[in-house]
Amino acid sequence: MRLHLGGHLNWYDAQRRTDVEVRLAERMPLLDLLHQLGVPRSEIIVAAVNGRAVPIEDAWVADGDRVDLYPPVGGG
Amino acid sequence: MAFGTTGRILWVDLTQGTTYVETLDEATYRLYPGGKALGAYLLLRHLPANVDPLGPDNILVLASGLLTGAPFSTATRFSAIARSPLTGTYGESEAAGFWGPELKMAGWEAIVLTGRAPQPVWIHIRDDKVEIRDATHLWGHEPLEVQTAIRAETGDKVTRVLQIGIGGENLVRYAAITNDLRHYNGRNGMGAVMGSKLVKAIGVRGSGKWIQYAHDAQPVVELGRRLAKGVKEHPQSWDLQEKGTPGITSALNAAGILPTRNFHQGAFEGVDNIKWEAYEKELLTARKSCYACAVRCKREVRVDDRYQVSDQYGGPEYEAVSGFGSNCGVDDLQAIAKANELCNRYTLDAISTASVVAFAMECFEHGLIGLDDTDGVDLRFGHAEAMLQMVDMIAQRRGIGNLLAEGVKRAAQAIGGDAHFFAMHVKGQELPMHDPRGKFGVGLGYAVSENGADHLVAAHDPTLANAESVSFKGAMPLGIRVALPPRDSSRQKVVNYTIAENWNSAEKVIGLCFFGPAPRSYIQVEDVVMAVNAATGWGWGVNDILAVGERATNLARLFNAREGFGRADDRLPDRLFTPLENGALEGVALSRDDFERALTDVYDLKGWDTDTGVPTPQKLDSLGIGWAAEAADVT
Ligand code: SF4
Repeated sequence: MRLHLGGHLNWYDAQRRTDVEVRLAERMPLLDLLHQLGVPRSEIIVAAVNGRAVPIEDAWVADGDRVDLYPPVGGG
Repeated sequence: MAFGTTGRILWVDLTQGTTYVETLDEATYRLYPGGKALGAYLLLRHLPANVDPLGPDNILVLASGLLTGAPFSTATRFSAIARSPLTGTYGESEAAGFWGPELKMAGWEAIVLTGRAPQPVWIHIRDDKVEIRDATHLWGHEPLEVQTAIRAETGDKVTRVLQIGIGGENLVRYAAITNDLRHYNGRNGMGAVMGSKLVKAIGVRGSGKWIQYAHDAQPVVELGRRLAKGVKEHPQSWDLQEKGTPGITSALNAAGILPTRNFHQGAFEGVDNIKWEAYEKELLTARKSCYACAVRCKREVRVDDRYQVSDQYGGPEYEAVSGFGSNCGVDDLQAIAKANELCNRYTLDAISTASVVAFAMECFEHGLIGLDDTDGVDLRFGHAEAMLQMVDMIAQRRGIGNLLAEGVKRAAQAIGGDAHFFAMHVKGQELPMHDPRGKFGVGLGYAVSENGADHLVAAHDPTLANAESVSFKGAMPLGIRVALPPRDSSRQKVVNYTIAENWNSAEKVIGLCFFGPAPRSYIQVEDVVMAVNAATGWGWGVNDILAVGERATNLARLFNAREGFGRADDRLPDRLFTPLENGALEGVALSRDDFERALTDVYDLKGWDTDTGVPTPQKLDSLGIGWAAEAADVT
C-alpha cells in the first residue's frame, strides 16, 4: 500500500519521505500501522483511505490501499 | 538607553521638507514597546477623526518591534500603520526581511511620515543623517530598477530599500510596500498611503548593532545559536524550511477548506497541479531567508516556459497559490507564479488582488459585468490569461481595473445587483485563503480584527485541536488548556481565541514573525519571555507580554470607535453562512446564532461593551490607557 505523509508528517519518517510504500501481510487498524511507522496519532487531523475521509480510530487498511494523512496546519 | 530600544522616533514633515526627533521615555516604551502598539499609540495621539486616508493629514508610521534586529530567528518584523484607505479603520501590516532590523541599526525605533511632498521624493537615512531627495526620475519605475538606482546613488550595495511600485503610485487601495524586493507590508493599502505622500522609497543603512540597546544581550545571542541549530529538530519549523507556506495547500484541500472559486467550494479538482510537490518541481530555484533567520521559509522561483517569471521578486506564498489558483479556478502554477510576480512588481497585495479577481470572475459568470466592461477579456473562472490581464489593468487603473483597484466592497456597490454577495470581505478588506467554515476561531479573528479580514489574528483552530499535538503543547504556557475541534464555537473556544489573539498581537509589537513562535512554529513561549527580559531587564512574565498585545488591540479598537465602527461591522460575508458545495465539509455552513453568541462572548471576555463592541473604561484603566477613551471620544 502507499502512504502519503502530508504537511510536516514526513518529518517523522527517518528518510523524510512524503510517499512511503508499505507491504502489509494482512488487514490492520490504521492506528497500529501509524504506531509501527512512528507517526504520532496526535499530529494527524485528516486521514483518507482511497480518497475517502475516515475516522482515524476506526479505520483499517490493507495492501493495495492508498492512505493520505495530514497534520493540523496553521496560517500561511 | 538599555531596554531594547533606540528610544528615538524620526518625524518627517514632507510638506515642509523638514525632520525632527522625538525621544521616548521608558515609561511610554513599557506601554507601547514597538510595532503595532507604538503605531496605534501614535495614530490615536496625532490623527484627528475622519482624515482622508489618502490625503496629507494621514500619517504613516513605520515602526520596528522591541526585538526587531535581535540576533535570533524571526526577530525581523516591523509594522506599517496608518488610517487604511481600503477599510477606513486603523490600518496595519507587518513585513519581515531586512529593512526593520536596519532601521534599528541606524538608531531609529520608528519613522513617521506626515504631510505630502510637493513632488516625488525618496528618503535617505544613514544613521543620524537624514535627507529628503528628489525621486522624480524614479517615479513610474519598477522596484528592481529603483533599488539598483538608489544603491548606485548612495554608492552602497546593501542600502536596504523600502519602496512602492506603480500600484502605490496609482493609489490602488490595497497597494503594498516592499523591502528588498521580496518582503511585503501587504495588507490594508499601506502602499497607497505612501504613494499619496509622494514618497517612492526609503533607503536605510545603519552602523549600530541591536545588542548595544539590550539590557543583557548574552542570553539572546545564545538563544540565536540554539534556534539556528534547532530548526530541523522541530516538525513545524523543519516543514517551513523545506516547503515554506506553500506546503499547506494539499492539507487544506483534504480538510475541505481550500478556498475554491470565490469560496463556493472547499476542494479543488486541480489541486495536484498546484500542491507543494508540483511547486517544488515546476517553480522552485532556491530557499531564502530574512535577517538572522534560520527558518528560511522564503521561496525563490523562476519560470522560462509558458510564462516568464523573474527570480528577483520572491516566490508565491500559500496565499497566492490558493488565491490565484483554486480561488480563481486556475490550476496552472506558472500562471500563478506570474500573477504573484506582477503583484510584487507593481506592489499590490497578492491576497486582496487575487480575491478581487475571483470576485470579478464571479460577477462576469453571472452577467453582472460583460465583455464590454472587461475590454473583451473573457473573465471566467479558470482563465489564467484573463486573470493576468486583470492584475495588469488593476495596477494601471485601466478600464475595469480602475473600479477593481477600489477593492471588492466599493466595486460591488458600483456594480450593484447580487455583486455584494460575491464580495468576500470584512470591513472592506478581502478575505485571506482560510475558510472559517472549517476554522471557527479564524472566522472570529476575521470579524473582530480592527483592520478587516486578517488570517494572522487568531490561532488556526486545527493547531489547538489535539491536546497531545506539538502545536497545542506549544500553546499551553499561554494559558490555553482545553483542546477543541476546529468547528467548535463554544465559550471555551472563545477563551482560547482571546488568549491566542493577544499573543499574536504581541508578536506584532515585539517584532517576531508569525512563523517563529509557538504554536505555529518552534520558538517556545518561555524563550520569547526570556528574550524580552534580556532586552529590557523588566522581569516580565507571559501575562505581561499578553497584556502588551491586548493593549495594542484596544488602542486600535478605540481608533475605530472614533471613526464610527462598532459591533455591526464585526461581520462575516453572507456566503460563509451558506453550505460548502464540495469536499470533506460539503454541506457545512456557519450558523448565525453561533456566530453572534460567540461574538458576544468575545466582547465579554475582552472587557468590551457587548452591544457596541467598544472597550469599557474599566478595561482601559486596567491596561493603563485610560487617557485613550478621551482621545477617541468614547467616554
Ligand atoms: S520565518 Fe520566514 S518570513 Fe519569518 S523571518 Fe524567517 S525567513 Fe522570514
